[in-house]
Amino acid sequence: MKDITPENLVVWLAARQPQWRDIAVANLHRLPMGASRETFRFDLAYVDPADGAQAMKVILRRDPPASNVDSDRAHEFAAYQAIYGHGVPVPKMLLLEEDPAWFDGAVSLAEDLRGYHNSEYQFQDPAWAPKLPHIAREMWGAMGRLAAVPVEDLDLSFTRPATRENTAVQELDYWVASLEKHDVGPEPIISAAVRQLYRWQPVAQKLALVHGDFRAGNFLYDDDGNLIAVLDWEMAHCGDPLEDLAWSMTRTFCFGKNDLRSGLATREEAIRIWEEASGLTADPQALAWWELFICVKTQAIWNASAHVWQTGQGREVIHAYAAWWLRNAQDKAALELMGKL
Amino acid sequence: MKPEVPMAVRELAHRLRTDLLAELTGFRANVAAMGAAMLDMVADEWDGAAARLVRENCAFRALLEQADGPPPGGNDEDLRISALTRENDRLRGLITELMERLEADSSPQAAALLAAIWQELARTVTERRITSANF
Repeated sequence: MKDITPENLVVWLAARQPQWRDIAVANLHRLPMGASRETFRFDLAYVDPADGAQAMKVILRRDPPASNVDSDRAHEFAAYQAIYGHGVPVPKMLLLEEDPAWFDGAVSLAEDLRGYHNSEYQFQDPAWAPKLPHIAREMWGAMGRLAAVPVEDLDLSFTRPATRENTAVQELDYWVASLEKHDVGPEPIISAAVRQLYRWQPVAQKLALVHGDFRAGNFLYDDDGNLIAVLDWEMAHCGDPLEDLAWSMTRTFCFGKNDLRSGLATREEAIRIWEEASGLTADPQALAWWELFICVKTQAIWNASAHVWQTGQGREVIHAYAAWWLRNAQDKAALELMGKL
Repeated sequence: MKPEVPMAVRELAHRLRTDLLAELTGFRANVAAMGAAMLDMVADEWDGAAARLVRENCAFRALLEQADGPPPGGNDEDLRISALTRENDRLRGLITELMERLEADSSPQAAALLAAIWQELARTVTERRITSANF
Protein backbone atom coordinates (compact mmCIF):
# COMPACT_ATOMS: atom_id res chain seq x y z
CA MET A 1 0.00 0.00 0.00
CA LYS A 2 1.18 3.54 -0.75
CA ASP A 3 2.09 5.60 2.27
CA ILE A 4 -0.43 8.26 3.20
CA THR A 5 1.76 11.37 3.50
CA PRO A 6 1.06 15.10 3.71
CA GLU A 7 2.74 15.50 0.33
CA ASN A 8 0.62 12.98 -1.58
CA LEU A 9 -2.53 14.24 0.16
CA VAL A 10 -1.77 17.77 -1.08
CA VAL A 11 -1.18 16.49 -4.62
CA TRP A 12 -4.46 14.57 -4.57
CA LEU A 13 -6.49 17.44 -3.09
CA ALA A 14 -5.06 19.87 -5.64
CA ALA A 15 -6.18 17.57 -8.46
CA ARG A 16 -9.51 16.85 -6.87
CA GLN A 17 -10.36 20.42 -5.85
CA PRO A 18 -8.60 22.53 -8.53
CA GLN A 19 -10.22 25.71 -7.24
CA TRP A 20 -8.43 25.39 -3.89
CA ARG A 21 -5.21 27.31 -3.39
CA ASP A 22 -2.37 27.06 -0.80
CA ILE A 23 -3.45 23.57 0.35
CA ALA A 24 -1.64 22.50 3.52
CA VAL A 25 -1.79 19.22 5.41
CA ALA A 26 -0.35 18.98 8.92
CA ASN A 27 -0.33 16.73 11.99
CA LEU A 28 -1.09 13.59 10.00
CA HIS A 29 -1.20 10.36 11.99
CA ARG A 30 -2.94 7.01 11.98
CA LEU A 31 -5.62 6.30 14.59
CA PRO A 32 -6.22 3.01 16.40
CA MET A 33 -9.77 2.67 15.10
CA GLY A 34 -11.51 -0.24 13.46
CA ALA A 35 -10.40 -3.65 12.24
CA SER A 36 -11.66 -3.25 8.71
CA ARG A 37 -10.33 0.11 7.55
CA GLU A 38 -7.28 2.32 8.06
CA THR A 39 -8.13 5.62 9.75
CA PHE A 40 -5.98 8.76 9.73
CA ARG A 41 -6.41 12.22 11.19
CA PHE A 42 -4.95 15.52 9.90
CA ASP A 43 -5.36 19.28 9.84
CA LEU A 44 -6.34 20.71 6.46
CA ALA A 45 -6.02 24.32 5.37
CA TYR A 46 -6.70 25.90 1.96
CA VAL A 47 -7.96 29.05 0.31
CA ASP A 48 -11.20 28.83 -1.60
CA PRO A 49 -11.76 31.70 -4.07
CA ALA A 50 -15.41 31.87 -3.05
CA ASP A 51 -15.18 31.34 0.71
CA GLY A 52 -11.69 32.57 1.57
CA ALA A 53 -9.23 30.86 3.92
CA GLN A 54 -10.50 27.59 5.37
CA ALA A 55 -9.12 25.42 8.16
CA MET A 56 -10.60 22.13 9.28
CA LYS A 57 -9.82 18.95 11.12
CA VAL A 58 -10.28 15.89 8.96
CA ILE A 59 -10.62 12.10 9.25
CA LEU A 60 -9.40 10.01 6.31
CA ARG A 61 -10.41 6.37 5.95
CA ARG A 62 -8.86 4.02 3.39
CA ASP A 63 -10.05 0.66 2.10
CA PRO A 64 -7.35 -1.98 2.50
CA PRO A 65 -6.69 -4.63 -0.18
CA ALA A 66 -8.23 -7.26 2.12
CA SER A 67 -10.54 -6.78 5.08
CA ASN A 68 -12.69 -8.72 7.50
CA VAL A 69 -15.74 -6.87 6.18
CA ASP A 70 -16.76 -6.74 2.52
CA SER A 71 -17.67 -3.10 2.25
CA ASP A 72 -16.18 -0.07 0.61
CA ARG A 73 -15.72 3.67 0.98
CA ALA A 74 -18.67 4.51 -1.26
CA HIS A 75 -21.01 2.41 0.88
CA GLU A 76 -20.03 3.95 4.20
CA PHE A 77 -19.87 7.45 2.71
CA ALA A 78 -23.43 7.06 1.39
CA ALA A 79 -24.65 5.65 4.71
CA TYR A 80 -23.33 8.70 6.60
CA GLN A 81 -24.90 11.00 4.03
CA ALA A 82 -28.21 9.15 4.25
CA ILE A 83 -28.61 9.58 8.01
CA TYR A 84 -27.03 13.04 8.32
CA GLY A 85 -29.63 15.50 9.58
CA HIS A 86 -32.16 12.86 10.64
CA GLY A 87 -31.76 13.05 14.43
CA VAL A 88 -28.85 10.65 14.86
CA PRO A 89 -25.66 12.68 15.14
CA VAL A 90 -22.88 11.74 12.70
CA PRO A 91 -19.82 13.54 11.32
CA LYS A 92 -20.31 15.37 8.03
CA MET A 93 -18.85 13.66 4.97
CA LEU A 94 -16.52 15.83 2.88
CA LEU A 95 -14.97 13.96 -0.07
CA LEU A 96 -15.00 10.47 -1.58
CA GLU A 97 -12.21 9.21 -3.81
CA GLU A 98 -13.01 5.87 -5.41
CA ASP A 99 -10.06 5.80 -7.83
CA PRO A 100 -7.57 3.47 -6.11
CA ALA A 101 -4.72 4.83 -8.19
CA TRP A 102 -4.18 7.67 -5.73
CA PHE A 103 -3.67 5.65 -2.54
CA ASP A 104 -3.95 1.96 -3.58
CA GLY A 105 -7.46 1.96 -2.17
CA ALA A 106 -10.51 4.19 -2.10
CA VAL A 107 -10.46 6.93 0.55
CA SER A 108 -13.01 9.20 2.14
CA LEU A 109 -12.66 12.43 4.08
CA ALA A 110 -14.97 13.42 6.92
CA GLU A 111 -15.30 16.09 9.56
CA ASP A 112 -13.12 15.17 12.57
CA LEU A 113 -14.92 15.77 15.87
CA ARG A 114 -11.95 16.06 18.22
CA GLY A 115 -11.76 16.26 21.97
CA TYR A 116 -14.15 13.40 22.65
CA HIS A 117 -13.78 9.80 23.77
CA ASN A 118 -14.70 6.63 21.93
CA SER A 119 -13.11 3.90 24.06
CA GLU A 120 -15.36 1.07 25.21
CA TYR A 121 -12.72 0.14 27.80
CA GLN A 122 -12.87 3.51 29.53
CA PHE A 123 -16.36 2.53 30.77
CA GLN A 124 -14.69 -0.11 32.98
CA ASP A 125 -12.71 2.55 34.83
CA PRO A 126 -14.34 2.90 38.29
CA ALA A 127 -14.36 6.68 37.85
CA TRP A 128 -16.84 6.26 34.99
CA ALA A 129 -19.16 3.87 36.86
CA PRO A 130 -21.62 6.59 38.02
CA LYS A 131 -22.02 7.77 34.40
CA LEU A 132 -22.83 4.37 32.91
CA PRO A 133 -26.64 4.62 33.28
CA HIS A 134 -26.59 7.97 31.46
CA ILE A 135 -24.30 6.64 28.72
CA ALA A 136 -26.57 3.62 28.32
CA ARG A 137 -29.55 5.95 27.84
CA GLU A 138 -27.55 7.94 25.30
CA MET A 139 -26.45 4.88 23.34
CA TRP A 140 -29.66 2.85 23.22
CA GLY A 141 -31.66 6.08 22.95
CA ALA A 142 -29.77 7.03 19.77
CA MET A 143 -30.19 3.48 18.49
CA GLY A 144 -33.92 3.69 19.15
CA ARG A 145 -34.18 7.03 17.34
CA LEU A 146 -32.35 5.51 14.38
CA ALA A 147 -34.86 2.65 14.37
CA ALA A 148 -37.73 5.13 14.34
CA VAL A 149 -36.55 7.12 11.29
CA PRO A 150 -38.91 6.30 8.38
CA VAL A 151 -36.86 4.64 5.64
CA GLU A 152 -38.98 6.54 3.11
CA ASP A 153 -37.20 9.71 4.31
CA LEU A 154 -33.73 8.30 3.58
CA ASP A 155 -31.77 7.73 0.38
CA LEU A 156 -30.92 4.05 0.81
CA SER A 157 -30.05 3.42 -2.82
CA PHE A 158 -26.52 2.48 -1.70
CA THR A 159 -27.66 -0.68 0.05
CA ARG A 160 -29.34 -3.94 -0.95
CA PRO A 161 -33.13 -3.58 -1.06
CA ALA A 162 -35.08 -5.35 1.66
CA THR A 163 -38.65 -6.00 2.68
CA ARG A 164 -40.04 -6.57 6.16
CA GLU A 165 -40.58 -10.20 5.18
CA ASN A 166 -37.22 -11.00 3.56
CA THR A 167 -34.68 -8.99 5.53
CA ALA A 168 -33.93 -11.73 8.07
CA VAL A 169 -33.25 -14.48 5.55
CA GLN A 170 -31.44 -12.03 3.27
CA GLU A 171 -29.03 -11.05 6.04
CA LEU A 172 -28.60 -14.70 7.03
CA ASP A 173 -27.80 -15.68 3.43
CA TYR A 174 -25.28 -12.84 3.21
CA TRP A 175 -23.35 -13.84 6.32
CA VAL A 176 -23.52 -17.57 5.68
CA ALA A 177 -21.94 -16.84 2.28
CA SER A 178 -19.23 -14.89 4.10
CA LEU A 179 -18.62 -17.85 6.44
CA GLU A 180 -18.25 -20.13 3.43
CA LYS A 181 -15.99 -17.69 1.62
CA HIS A 182 -13.70 -17.38 4.65
CA ASP A 183 -13.66 -21.02 5.69
CA VAL A 184 -11.20 -21.65 8.53
CA GLY A 185 -12.35 -25.16 9.38
CA PRO A 186 -15.54 -26.93 10.43
CA GLU A 187 -17.65 -25.22 13.08
CA PRO A 188 -20.26 -27.54 14.58
CA ILE A 189 -21.71 -24.88 16.91
CA ILE A 190 -22.17 -22.10 14.36
CA SER A 191 -23.35 -24.62 11.73
CA ALA A 192 -26.07 -25.77 14.15
CA ALA A 193 -27.01 -22.14 14.80
CA VAL A 194 -27.31 -21.53 11.05
CA ARG A 195 -29.59 -24.57 10.64
CA GLN A 196 -31.76 -23.33 13.53
CA LEU A 197 -31.99 -19.84 12.03
CA TYR A 198 -33.07 -21.19 8.63
CA ARG A 199 -36.02 -23.04 10.22
CA TRP A 200 -37.88 -19.81 11.03
CA GLN A 201 -37.32 -16.09 10.54
CA PRO A 202 -39.11 -13.09 12.05
CA VAL A 203 -40.92 -10.44 10.01
CA ALA A 204 -39.67 -6.96 10.86
CA GLN A 205 -42.10 -4.57 12.55
CA LYS A 206 -40.73 -1.90 10.25
CA LEU A 207 -37.74 -1.38 8.01
CA ALA A 208 -34.99 0.92 9.22
CA LEU A 209 -31.49 1.98 8.37
CA VAL A 210 -29.58 -0.59 10.41
CA HIS A 211 -26.17 0.68 11.50
CA GLY A 212 -24.74 -2.84 11.56
CA ASP A 213 -22.01 -2.24 14.19
CA PHE A 214 -23.76 -0.13 16.85
CA ARG A 215 -22.05 -0.81 20.20
CA ALA A 216 -19.79 0.79 22.78
CA GLY A 217 -16.60 1.77 20.98
CA ASN A 218 -18.37 3.02 17.88
CA PHE A 219 -19.66 6.35 19.14
CA LEU A 220 -18.02 9.52 20.42
CA TYR A 221 -18.95 10.81 23.87
CA ASP A 222 -17.94 13.76 25.99
CA ASP A 223 -16.66 13.94 29.58
CA ASP A 224 -20.22 13.78 30.90
CA GLY A 225 -21.10 10.75 28.81
CA ASN A 226 -23.23 12.61 26.28
CA LEU A 227 -23.26 10.92 22.88
CA ILE A 228 -21.72 13.23 20.29
CA ALA A 229 -21.69 11.16 17.10
CA VAL A 230 -22.22 7.59 15.91
CA LEU A 231 -19.30 6.24 13.84
CA ASP A 232 -18.39 3.24 11.66
CA TRP A 233 -21.35 2.85 9.31
CA GLU A 234 -19.58 0.54 6.85
CA MET A 235 -22.03 -2.33 7.51
CA ALA A 236 -25.14 -0.10 7.34
CA HIS A 237 -28.06 -1.53 5.41
CA CYS A 238 -31.82 -1.48 5.16
CA GLY A 239 -33.27 -4.08 7.52
CA ASP A 240 -34.88 -4.99 10.82
CA PRO A 241 -33.94 -2.51 13.58
CA LEU A 242 -33.85 -5.39 16.06
CA GLU A 243 -30.54 -6.35 14.43
CA ASP A 244 -28.80 -3.31 15.94
CA LEU A 245 -30.29 -4.00 19.38
CA ALA A 246 -29.18 -7.65 19.22
CA TRP A 247 -25.68 -6.69 18.02
CA SER A 248 -25.19 -4.27 20.91
CA MET A 249 -26.08 -6.95 23.44
CA THR A 250 -23.96 -9.87 22.24
CA ARG A 251 -21.74 -11.42 24.90
CA THR A 252 -18.47 -10.72 23.11
CA PHE A 253 -19.18 -7.01 23.55
CA CYS A 254 -19.64 -7.35 27.33
CA PHE A 255 -16.41 -5.44 27.86
CA GLY A 256 -16.66 -5.58 31.64
CA LYS A 257 -16.68 -9.41 31.47
CA ASN A 258 -20.01 -9.41 33.28
CA ASP A 259 -23.70 -9.19 32.39
CA LEU A 260 -23.61 -5.51 31.38
CA ARG A 261 -24.20 -5.37 27.63
CA SER A 262 -21.67 -3.24 25.76
CA GLY A 263 -20.23 -2.83 29.26
CA LEU A 264 -23.05 -0.40 30.09
CA ALA A 265 -26.42 -1.88 31.11
CA THR A 266 -28.24 -5.12 31.71
CA ARG A 267 -30.01 -6.75 28.78
CA GLU A 268 -33.40 -5.79 30.23
CA GLU A 269 -32.41 -2.15 30.68
CA ALA A 270 -30.96 -1.92 27.17
CA ILE A 271 -34.20 -3.28 25.70
CA ARG A 272 -36.30 -0.92 27.83
CA ILE A 273 -34.37 2.17 26.70
CA TRP A 274 -34.48 1.08 23.06
CA GLU A 275 -38.23 0.39 23.15
CA GLU A 276 -38.92 3.77 24.74
CA ALA A 277 -36.80 5.66 22.21
CA SER A 278 -37.96 3.76 19.13
CA GLY A 279 -41.63 3.38 19.98
CA LEU A 280 -41.22 -0.22 18.85
CA THR A 281 -41.55 -3.50 20.70
CA ALA A 282 -38.68 -5.95 20.98
CA ASP A 283 -40.67 -9.13 20.46
CA PRO A 284 -38.82 -11.77 22.53
CA GLN A 285 -38.93 -14.48 19.87
CA ALA A 286 -37.81 -12.13 17.11
CA LEU A 287 -35.07 -10.64 19.28
CA ALA A 288 -33.85 -14.14 20.21
CA TRP A 289 -33.58 -14.92 16.48
CA TRP A 290 -31.54 -11.77 15.86
CA GLU A 291 -29.30 -12.44 18.87
CA LEU A 292 -28.40 -15.88 17.53
CA PHE A 293 -28.03 -14.40 14.04
CA ILE A 294 -25.51 -11.95 15.49
CA CYS A 295 -23.39 -14.90 16.62
CA VAL A 296 -23.30 -16.07 13.00
CA LYS A 297 -22.56 -12.59 11.67
CA THR A 298 -19.82 -11.86 14.20
CA GLN A 299 -18.25 -15.28 13.78
CA ALA A 300 -18.23 -14.66 10.02
CA ILE A 301 -16.31 -11.44 10.71
CA TRP A 302 -13.85 -13.05 13.15
CA ASN A 303 -13.32 -15.92 10.69
CA ALA A 304 -12.71 -13.44 7.89
CA SER A 305 -10.10 -11.80 10.15
CA ALA A 306 -8.37 -15.17 10.56
CA HIS A 307 -8.73 -15.95 6.85
CA VAL A 308 -7.23 -12.65 5.71
CA TRP A 309 -4.17 -13.33 7.87
CA GLN A 310 -3.92 -17.06 7.17
CA THR A 311 -4.08 -16.62 3.40
CA GLY A 312 -1.56 -13.78 3.39
CA GLN A 313 -4.04 -11.19 2.09
CA GLY A 314 -3.28 -8.93 5.05
CA ARG A 315 -1.12 -8.78 8.14
CA GLU A 316 -2.86 -6.22 10.33
CA VAL A 317 -2.27 -7.27 13.94
CA ILE A 318 -5.89 -6.55 14.81
CA HIS A 319 -7.11 -9.32 12.49
CA ALA A 320 -5.09 -12.04 14.23
CA TYR A 321 -5.88 -10.54 17.63
CA ALA A 322 -9.63 -10.40 16.99
CA ALA A 323 -9.75 -13.99 15.76
CA TRP A 324 -7.77 -15.34 18.74
CA TRP A 325 -9.73 -13.27 21.25
CA LEU A 326 -13.27 -13.64 19.98
CA ARG A 327 -13.94 -16.89 18.08
CA ASN A 328 -14.26 -19.20 21.08
CA ALA A 329 -16.23 -16.59 23.07
CA GLN A 330 -18.66 -16.26 20.15
CA ASP A 331 -19.13 -20.04 20.09
CA LYS A 332 -19.90 -19.87 23.81
CA ALA A 333 -22.41 -17.06 23.24
CA ALA A 334 -24.17 -19.15 20.58
CA LEU A 335 -24.29 -22.13 22.96
CA GLU A 336 -25.87 -19.96 25.64
CA LEU A 337 -28.53 -18.63 23.25
CA MET A 338 -29.35 -22.16 22.05
CA GLY A 339 -29.69 -23.34 25.66
CA LYS A 340 -26.74 -25.70 25.35
CA LEU A 341 -24.25 -24.15 27.74
CA MET B 1 12.88 -24.34 26.64
CA LYS B 2 14.06 -22.74 29.87
CA PRO B 3 12.83 -20.40 31.17
CA GLU B 4 9.48 -21.98 30.45
CA VAL B 5 7.60 -20.39 27.57
CA PRO B 6 4.43 -19.22 29.41
CA MET B 7 6.55 -17.55 32.09
CA ALA B 8 8.75 -15.82 29.52
CA VAL B 9 5.97 -14.58 27.23
CA ARG B 10 3.90 -13.30 30.17
CA GLU B 11 6.89 -11.27 31.29
CA LEU B 12 7.36 -10.01 27.73
CA ALA B 13 3.71 -8.97 27.65
CA HIS B 14 4.10 -7.22 31.01
CA ARG B 15 7.20 -5.34 29.81
CA LEU B 16 5.48 -4.36 26.61
CA ARG B 17 2.62 -2.84 28.63
CA THR B 18 4.58 -1.19 31.39
CA ASP B 19 7.79 -0.09 29.65
CA LEU B 20 7.02 0.37 25.96
CA LEU B 21 3.34 1.24 25.78
CA ALA B 22 3.82 4.44 27.75
CA GLU B 23 6.29 5.64 25.11
CA LEU B 24 3.83 5.13 22.27
CA THR B 25 0.64 6.87 21.17
CA GLY B 26 -2.28 6.30 18.84
CA PHE B 27 -2.05 3.45 16.32
CA ARG B 28 1.39 2.26 17.51
CA ALA B 29 0.21 2.07 21.12
CA ASN B 30 -2.80 0.06 20.03
CA VAL B 31 -0.65 -2.42 18.09
CA ALA B 32 1.65 -2.82 21.10
CA ALA B 33 -1.33 -3.40 23.42
CA MET B 34 -2.76 -6.03 21.09
CA GLY B 35 0.67 -7.66 20.81
CA ALA B 36 0.87 -7.87 24.60
CA ALA B 37 -2.61 -9.36 24.77
CA MET B 38 -1.66 -11.94 22.12
CA LEU B 39 1.43 -12.92 24.10
CA ASP B 40 -0.83 -13.52 27.11
CA MET B 41 -3.04 -15.73 24.94
CA VAL B 42 0.03 -17.71 23.84
CA ALA B 43 0.94 -18.15 27.50
CA ASP B 44 -2.61 -19.36 28.21
CA GLU B 45 -2.48 -21.89 25.41
CA TRP B 46 1.12 -23.10 25.30
CA ASP B 47 1.25 -25.71 27.99
CA GLY B 48 -2.20 -27.25 27.66
CA ALA B 49 -2.97 -27.04 23.94
CA ALA B 50 -1.72 -30.51 22.93
CA ALA B 51 -3.41 -32.22 25.90
CA ARG B 52 -6.66 -30.39 25.21
CA LEU B 53 -6.64 -31.31 21.52
CA VAL B 54 -5.92 -34.98 22.28
CA ARG B 55 -8.75 -35.07 24.83
CA GLU B 56 -11.16 -33.38 22.39
CA ASN B 57 -10.16 -35.71 19.56
CA CYS B 58 -10.68 -38.81 21.74
CA ALA B 59 -14.07 -37.51 22.89
CA PHE B 60 -15.19 -36.75 19.31
CA ARG B 61 -14.11 -40.22 18.13
CA ALA B 62 -16.02 -41.84 20.99
CA LEU B 63 -19.17 -39.91 20.05
CA LEU B 64 -18.80 -40.70 16.36
CA GLU B 65 -18.38 -44.42 17.16
CA GLN B 66 -21.81 -44.38 18.83
CA ALA B 67 -23.45 -43.44 15.53
CA ASP B 68 -24.32 -45.68 12.62
CA GLY B 69 -21.76 -45.56 9.87
CA PRO B 70 -18.07 -46.13 9.35
CA PRO B 71 -15.75 -45.58 12.33
CA PRO B 72 -14.11 -42.16 12.34
CA GLY B 73 -10.55 -43.55 12.17
CA GLY B 74 -7.57 -41.31 12.70
CA ASN B 75 -5.19 -41.10 15.63
CA ASP B 76 -3.16 -38.61 17.64
CA GLU B 77 0.26 -40.20 17.27
CA ASP B 78 1.71 -36.99 15.82
CA LEU B 79 1.61 -34.64 18.82
CA ARG B 80 2.53 -31.46 16.98
CA ILE B 81 -0.19 -28.85 17.49
CA SER B 82 -0.59 -28.46 13.72
CA ALA B 83 -1.22 -32.22 13.26
CA LEU B 84 -3.58 -32.41 16.22
CA THR B 85 -5.47 -29.36 14.93
CA ARG B 86 -5.83 -30.93 11.45
CA GLU B 87 -7.25 -34.07 13.07
CA ASN B 88 -9.51 -31.92 15.29
CA ASP B 89 -10.82 -30.12 12.20
CA ARG B 90 -11.47 -33.46 10.45
CA LEU B 91 -13.38 -34.77 13.46
CA ARG B 92 -15.33 -31.52 13.88
CA GLY B 93 -16.38 -31.86 10.25
CA LEU B 94 -17.68 -35.37 10.94
CA ILE B 95 -19.42 -34.16 14.12
CA THR B 96 -21.11 -31.36 12.13
CA GLU B 97 -22.44 -33.89 9.60
CA LEU B 98 -23.57 -36.24 12.37
CA MET B 99 -25.43 -33.45 14.19
CA GLU B 100 -27.32 -32.59 11.03
CA ARG B 101 -28.37 -36.25 10.63
CA LEU B 102 -29.37 -36.56 14.29
CA GLU B 103 -31.49 -33.39 14.16
CA ALA B 104 -33.58 -35.06 11.46
CA ASP B 105 -33.95 -38.27 13.49
CA SER B 106 -36.76 -38.28 16.07
CA SER B 107 -35.63 -41.44 17.90
CA PRO B 108 -34.67 -41.25 21.60
CA GLN B 109 -31.25 -42.71 20.71
CA ALA B 110 -30.59 -39.85 18.30
CA ALA B 111 -31.70 -37.28 20.87
CA ALA B 112 -29.42 -38.82 23.51
CA LEU B 113 -26.41 -38.84 21.20
CA LEU B 114 -27.13 -35.26 20.11
CA ALA B 115 -27.34 -34.19 23.76
CA ALA B 116 -23.99 -35.87 24.43
CA ILE B 117 -22.43 -34.00 21.50
CA TRP B 118 -23.76 -30.67 22.78
CA GLN B 119 -22.34 -31.49 26.21
CA GLU B 120 -18.93 -32.18 24.68
CA LEU B 121 -19.04 -29.00 22.59
CA ALA B 122 -19.86 -26.98 25.71
CA ARG B 123 -16.90 -28.61 27.45
CA THR B 124 -14.53 -27.75 24.59
CA VAL B 125 -15.65 -24.13 24.66
CA THR B 126 -15.11 -23.95 28.42
CA GLU B 127 -11.66 -25.52 28.13
CA ARG B 128 -10.66 -23.24 25.23
CA ARG B 129 -11.63 -20.08 27.08
CA ILE B 130 -8.75 -17.61 27.28
CA THR B 131 -8.26 -15.49 30.40
CA SER B 132 -8.98 -12.19 28.62
CA ALA B 133 -12.22 -13.36 26.97
CA ASN B 134 -15.28 -11.18 27.60
CA PHE B 135 -17.41 -14.33 27.91
